[in-house]
Amino acid sequence: MWTVLSYACWGISIVLALWMLYDWFKVDTTFSEEVLTSSREGELEAVSEKHRI
Amino acid sequence: MPRYTPPEQSKAGQVFDIAVVVVAIFVALWLPLKLGLAGAAKSIDALDAKTWEALGQNPTMASIWEKLGYTPETAHDIIQNRFHYVIDWPTLIIMAAVLIGYFVFLFRASDREYRDVINEKFDDK
Amino acid sequence: MTVTLEPAIHGDRVSLLRVLGPAHVWALGVGIVLVGEFTGWNFAADKGGALAALIVCWVVGLLYTSVAMIDSEVTSTVAAAGGQYAQAKHIVGPLMAFNVALFLVFAYTMLEVSDAILLGDTIVAKAGVEGLTHNSFIAATIVVLAWLNYRGVLMTLNVNFVITAIAYISIVILFFSVSPWTQGAVLKLNELVTPGNALPYGWIGVIAAFQFGIWYYLGIEGTTQAAEEVRSPARSLPYGTMAGMITLLIAAAMTWYVCASMMPWEYLGITYYPLWDAGKLTGSPLLENLLFVATLLAALASANGCINDAARAWFSLGRDRYLPTWFSAVHPKYRTPYRSILFLLPIALAFAFIADLNQAITFSILSGVLQYTFMSINIVMFRKKWPLGSIRRGYTHPFHPIPAVVLFCLCVVTFFAIFLGFGSQLIAMVAFYFLISLWFHFYRYRFVRRGDQFTMPWPKPQGY
Repeated sequence: MWTVLSYACWGISIVLALWMLYDWFKVDTTFSEEVLTSSREGELEAVSEKHRI
Repeated sequence: MPRYTPPEQSKAGQVFDIAVVVVAIFVALWLPLKLGLAGAAKSIDALDAKTWEALGQNPTMASIWEKLGYTPETAHDIIQNRFHYVIDWPTLIIMAAVLIGYFVFLFRASDREYRDVINEKFDDK
Repeated sequence: MTVTLEPAIHGDRVSLLRVLGPAHVWALGVGIVLVGEFTGWNFAADKGGALAALIVCWVVGLLYTSVAMIDSEVTSTVAAAGGQYAQAKHIVGPLMAFNVALFLVFAYTMLEVSDAILLGDTIVAKAGVEGLTHNSFIAATIVVLAWLNYRGVLMTLNVNFVITAIAYISIVILFFSVSPWTQGAVLKLNELVTPGNALPYGWIGVIAAFQFGIWYYLGIEGTTQAAEEVRSPARSLPYGTMAGMITLLIAAAMTWYVCASMMPWEYLGITYYPLWDAGKLTGSPLLENLLFVATLLAALASANGCINDAARAWFSLGRDRYLPTWFSAVHPKYRTPYRSILFLLPIALAFAFIADLNQAITFSILSGVLQYTFMSINIVMFRKKWPLGSIRRGYTHPFHPIPAVVLFCLCVVTFFAIFLGFGSQLIAMVAFYFLISLWFHFYRYRFVRRGDQFTMPWPKPQGY
């Protein structure tokens, strides 16, 4: 049973790692670098303030 | 004060910088392992008589050891494996000097950079 | 409140998501640390005996109470991802900030590695199957948790809250099921810790034990990493951190009392599973299995929080151009620093496969103590550059500068303790930080925009 569990762990790791790589590739090709790296320190406060209605 | 405009870094330069950091991390963490620097000085003070009494274990302790699956023979290497704390003055002095030197450099160099930051942030409006 | 995860771009900006409350802060802090009760703290007994482990539990508790107080004040004021990194950047200077971020990334990544190894070893020990290695369990731990972190911070910390709470409750259950109010039935403290063996190495052993005493609480300061993701940082961070510290002090005391009353110190000092062993020694299969599961959950919670924290520190380095800006990308859908998470994943995996538990723990402790030394000086500079009243602080800690002085003195003692066991490793680590600092100061810093680093809406600091 433990050996099966061990193989299952390898399987899950590989599947999730591949999914993350796929998603990473998809995001990087869909969005521009400017949008992705647009987060700024301190401006978060301003953003959340603006969105308070 | 003129505003400092940093040069744009090329893609190759960015990749190279990442590589430098990764290599540095691996060297710093892996080298001490490789050189066997990691780990404290422990050694076994061997005893001839391998009984619970000789190992300094009272009946309560002995019963727990046995519950954990040990005999005086197998527990001997655990119980007699002792630290030998010796203060090695040259190493201690080197360590203190390295640490103090490191922090002094950190604070002084940071302060020089910090003054630029403050000047640009507050004078440039 | 429901949070929708559609691509949310405010104007042209993608930012981290503000969704966390004080309970998440607690879960992040305690989640990272609680594993220390399940393994690690007991190596203090190895270094100085059972009584030394108790003494450092309280004295190092004092160190961390200072850390929590100082941290709460600075972070409720400088609320940005990266925590102590952003503090250092605003208060001491860029080079310091760069080093602090590296301390953070090292401390958390190595802690994550230790957690994964612990989890793998625990399962292998439980299974007792010939030829079963821990590698698959280590890989699954690191990859699954990275995936969870990748998919969003709210889910990550909700999971952390649940598993941390279960692990904590299991310590409480163990404590009450060994009838702590009567000695002699299950607990035999006065027969196991005798005047003759309480301090087998004398006081030098107590000092040496400081090194692993750190492990009772290491990582509680990680709560500050969530600063950009909590709904009201000025309130939630001090509250969550302090509540976490109180929780941990109670857990540490209970853990010591139960373990020291059930195992001889020589065994306690070398086992990797003190609480699980205590569960076994009660003779109750229920308790044994409960503590086994709790050990796994605590390791998971800790690794989970560490991935969260290390990725945020790395992300902030990229955002300020200290490292290539590539790392500062935020996932447009999940709103997490996904590239930093992915980048640190193989590094953690590699070390989990090559290092052993003791070494990984020591690396983590070293980086932690370097960081606490910085914090003690940082708070003094903070109060000097912006005295009380000059800016709005979310929380002001009492008795300044006593906590700072206490923290600094205890850091010096801990450095000496590390010297007693791991002196050459300490020198090697500091040499690394020194070299990489030279690299940063003389080369990398040219790519950094000077004035842009200072993002807080504060007046000019005094003395500049």
